[in-house]
Amino acid sequence: MKAPLTRSLVWFGVLAAGLLGAPAAAERGTLNDLWNVAFAIVLASAWNLLGGFAGQISLGYSAFVGIGAYTTVLLAMAGWNPWLTLPVAAALAVAFSVIIGLPTFRLRGPYFSIATIGVGEAVRVIASGVEFTGGSSGLRMPSGGFNFISNYYGMAVLALFTVAVVFFIHHDAFGLALDAIRQDIDAAEALGVQSTRYKLLAHAVSAALVGAAGGLFAMNFQYISPGSVFDFRLSLSIVLMPIVGGIATLVGPVLGAVLFSYLQIKLLASPALRDSYLFIYGGLLMAVMLFEPRGMVGLWERLVRLRSRQRPQAAEA
Amino acid sequence: MAAAPLLEVSGVGKRFGGLVAVAEVSFAVQEGEIFSVIGPNGAGKTTLFSLLVGSQRPTTGSIRFRGEEIAGLRNDQVVARGLVRTHQIVRPFRDMTVKQNVSVGALFGSKQLRGEAAPAKVAEVLERTGLAARARVLAGTLTIGELKRLEIARALATEPTVLCLDEVMGGLNPAEIQGAMALIREIRKSGITVLMIEHHVHAVVGVSDRVMVLNFGRKIAEGRPQEVLRDPAVVSAYLGDEEGAAA
Repeated sequence: MKAPLTRSLVWFGVLAAGLLGAPAAAERGTLNDLWNVAFAIVLASAWNLLGGFAGQISLGYSAFVGIGAYTTVLLAMAGWNPWLTLPVAAALAVAFSVIIGLPTFRLRGPYFSIATIGVGEAVRVIASGVEFTGGSSGLRMPSGGFNFISNYYGMAVLALFTVAVVFFIHHDAFGLALDAIRQDIDAAEALGVQSTRYKLLAHAVSAALVGAAGGLFAMNFQYISPGSVFDFRLSLSIVLMPIVGGIATLVGPVLGAVLFSYLQIKLLASPALRDSYLFIYGGLLMAVMLFEPRGMVGLWERLVRLRSRQRPQAAEA
Repeated sequence: MAAAPLLEVSGVGKRFGGLVAVAEVSFAVQEGEIFSVIGPNGAGKTTLFSLLVGSQRPTTGSIRFRGEEIAGLRNDQVVARGLVRTHQIVRPFRDMTVKQNVSVGALFGSKQLRGEAAPAKVAEVLERTGLAARARVLAGTLTIGELKRLEIARALATEPTVLCLDEVMGGLNPAEIQGAMALIREIRKSGITVLMIEHHVHAVVGVSDRVMVLNFGRKIAEGRPQEVLRDPAVVSAYLGDEEGAAA
């Protein structure tokens, strides 16, 4: 079901004003947190295009973060302006998405998901083993040229762009094809939908966005290693955010990204809870699966329905 | 002299391991015909449809549609050429509205309609199938009669040359069957060739030009509906006798 257009525009406007207006009001620490929120929004919303709308649950998205990050660092080491490396990071992520999509999209449901775990892990192992990536000790960006405020705006704009791209696809024939593929892939094909083509396209678009985010990640942290950008736990977080927020909805991944970033910041700040975040994420996931498979969005809709049912009674009393 | 057939099936077979679902079936459908496929449960009718549209690959044989070999093409490629099927067990996109369901056919069917042409086609098809009043309802909430019509509506929206209807009358009441028969005649009148699987004998006799009978995956009869139904082989296939059991 599509949310009304005006409501989508309103929350998008609030998000844009918040992210772009923050540097005028907030201090560095808060902006750092908001950078994390924006990064999470890109990952969650882009993943939702394939995993949510098209229903292809990929557990290997850290591969795109890593490919983007390594592309940016390696090109910067070769003397490139880091900003100019981002399109290349996106393009290489797209190329990789097609290479792994062609064989894995022949698999359905959980078999596809399991294959993507293998792909993600294989990439991490390769990146740890070969020499040009610096092996398991990773790579450092060339010093100089670091500017947090431009990095912040870069990620904020990418987050808004991602949400806008997903919005337009959702309201286009492409989005309808993805919906059809998720709900019944055989029926979709029986009506002429070229399922593999649209899955590859959704994969490519989301890989481009995640790859660019990986490049921005490298620019902001200045140091990357297989353990940071190719981490399986990163792949898991990318999946959990849209599921907790509301899978296959526009606003769900954004809500999930905000919640997760907030939790992460709180948990990392408290020594007692630092190592328990996977436990808490797992608990959240189970709660969503058991009580509200449509996540925070579903919870919200349930509350709205409850209120509209109570209102006439209140008027009578 | 008859024109070259629109759809020419020769020696088509499908084997699942040791089970022969469809064995060496040949037939030809002329443009503008209503051609019915009947037979007892498990005769291979639905499998035959799956082979025609490419949702399953035939093990043997050839399928020529408008002179072109289509055996081995994917389902979506066959739809693009104008051959589409409905499903006996309805497969609506339950979380989409009726209108969105039909839009999938209009947007990705043989014409790949874009811009204003798609909603116009959708509105026309909803009107023809009597679903216009239900356009904004979620498909998951429709009755079985409406779901059967939605199957037809989505297939019509792909603008097919040949429409394969798989038991669209199953589970309908007599009034709905009358409505479905009228709809099938109207579809043929609009220039679409109809291939249908049907159990309802009155409907088959009432609308078909020709009938083919399958039993255990083999064609046992073909011809005008009244003649075919009197054929001893057909009678024994349906009612069973010693000869039928031995064969």
